[in-house]
Amino acid sequence: MKARILDRANVLKIVDLLREQGREVFAPFGGRGRDTFFDLVTNDNRDQIEIHLPNPYYPPKRFLLPHIERLFRIQRTNGLIQIEPTYREPRRAIFGIRSCDLAGIWHLDRFYLGREYRDVYYEKRRRNLFLVNVVCTDVERDIDDDCFCVCADTGPAARDHFDLQLMDLGDEFMVVAGTPEGEALFADPVFRKASPNHVEKRRAILSAVRKRFKVATSWFSATVRYVSLGKVMEKTWEEVGNRCLECGGCSYVCPACTCFTVSDRQLGTQEAERVRIWDACALGGFTRMAGGHNPRKAVHDRRNRRFFRKLAHHFIQRELSMACAGCGRCAEVCHGDVGMPSVVEMIRRASAEVDKHEPVSH
Amino acid sequence: MNPSATENIYLPKIAVLDRVVDEIVEVKTFHWHFEDPADQAAFKKFRPGQFAQVSLFGVGEFPASLPPSPTEDATFFTVKKVGSCTTALHALQPGDKFAVRGPYGNGFPMEEYEGKNLVFVAGGIGLIPLRSCIIYALKHREKYNRIQIFLGAKTPRDLMYRDNLREWEKSAGVECYLTVDRATDGWTGHVGVVGSLFKKPGVEVAVDNTIAFVCGPPVMFRFVIKDLLDMGFQARNIVSTLERYMKCGVGKCGHCCIGVAYVCTDGPVFTYEQIRKLGEDI
Repeated sequence: MKARILDRANVLKIVDLLREQGREVFAPFGGRGRDTFFDLVTNDNRDQIEIHLPNPYYPPKRFLLPHIERLFRIQRTNGLIQIEPTYREPRRAIFGIRSCDLAGIWHLDRFYLGREYRDVYYEKRRRNLFLVNVVCTDVERDIDDDCFCVCADTGPAARDHFDLQLMDLGDEFMVVAGTPEGEALFADPVFRKASPNHVEKRRAILSAVRKRFKVATSWFSATVRYVSLGKVMEKTWEEVGNRCLECGGCSYVCPACTCFTVSDRQLGTQEAERVRIWDACALGGFTRMAGGHNPRKAVHDRRNRRFFRKLAHHFIQRELSMACAGCGRCAEVCHGDVGMPSVVEMIRRASAEVDKHEPVSH
Repeated sequence: MNPSATENIYLPKIAVLDRVVDEIVEVKTFHWHFEDPADQAAFKKFRPGQFAQVSLFGVGEFPASLPPSPTEDATFFTVKKVGSCTTALHALQPGDKFAVRGPYGNGFPMEEYEGKNLVFVAGGIGLIPLRSCIIYALKHREKYNRIQIFLGAKTPRDLMYRDNLREWEKSAGVECYLTVDRATDGWTGHVGVVGSLFKKPGVEVAVDNTIAFVCGPPVMFRFVIKDLLDMGFQARNIVSTLERYMKCGVGKCGHCCIGVAYVCTDGPVFTYEQIRKLGEDI
């Protein structure tokens, strides 16, 4: 991977270059208080782009899987029915995507494109998406108490899956290219060669930042083992279920959740559209069938489902990536404190207690 | 099976309704064909036990078993009116258009079962997915050993596919036993749950080298499984098809996931050995 150096004052030059390529560029902006969001960069707001800020709750997954997306239109004319798929194939870039969210997109890639059936809507949006990763180095702004990328092994610096990666070295940024498209931008004279000093500085900053995460261990591997072997007690799931308010928030802020529902909407008498909408296994109606039978009624069964889907070895192996990016959003939004880090901890404690008393068999 | 990158897995193909046959209360059989003969030819390669997604425009889409056998020259669904989509289908008239995509799912590995006895146990509309296998097995009669059908319904009025039943009852190549929970309408046959047929005098269920197909409501399923296991069937030789709320049919929407299995792509056919390990209610 090639690396270059960019003066701090020139860092938004990357945004300009991408816009000159005809791309819609989305970048993070700050609202009031904790509120942050990705928005389309225009000439007016370009200077308000923030490099360091708390990661927006609304995950960048929406640029690949909009929360409501039309699949096709159905038109009826004189007994003739026509189905017209609606494809969107924008040339886009996300500037300032965090390493955790990059891992989320990698998981979505594996899920939507890597298996037996490919999702053409996802593929068309993904094909021309340029990703500029920013390494979280500002411990006051970038990192909060719930970040656990260090445990999920997704950050703070992504190792792959970006076109460009930016790392704040103080007065300068180190820019690493992950793809030929990313490297092509280095043709601009604003990029300078990096020296061994820069590389050393990057390493030092990174190892210092790693120590500033509050959640440094979450015993993921132990929990994956307990969940995969079905060793988690019903009682533990009940405890998790008792604290779940069934709001679905954890799924809606998750950069790696993939489930959706499909719905038809009438557009006048002769026309209808089929849309897909984000859905969440936390919600009671998720498995309810026509006629009312619901095989997964209890809250704790649904909590079990979410964490099983994310942590079971079977799925990790199938997608070659875990459906948890370690971003900590679920922990931040959960009113009952049953986000991923807490649940991993609850499972580990409860199951380790049982393990202690179980006879060892050979 | 890896559709080309540009193929849209969510796009249904237009179908035309040919005729509607009343089966039992709230259940009708819908004969249809694809508007485009190429779609029809591609669809005809389905296997017994697979399913399709049926679209009613402006209403939605639902998964439906495929009751025809690929050996028949017919495409139809047998559907009970339960929700908004099935109600909309029931309201269609011959000539009306809807849409279908599929076939999906693993289906029954009928080739693997060659040389074995086949025991079909169905309760009520559980016969819909099994009809395909029964017709298929009878078409390839020489490839299978004994074929037994045990069919239960609430009342004689709830027996479906009556033309097929009459044929199977008369046919020398198949042992067909019927039962009803309540004898009405002058029923003179057996009365009792479907499991009671196994112990009926004169009935001898083939157990060794046998595959048992079980489909029906959850209560019937539980009791029949218990009976079969008690008789000496092994869990891996009992097969069934599972049902779940499904939105995509191709392993993406996540609704039909039970344990590690996606019912749409890993199933809907599972052995009882697999079902036991799913770790959730079916």
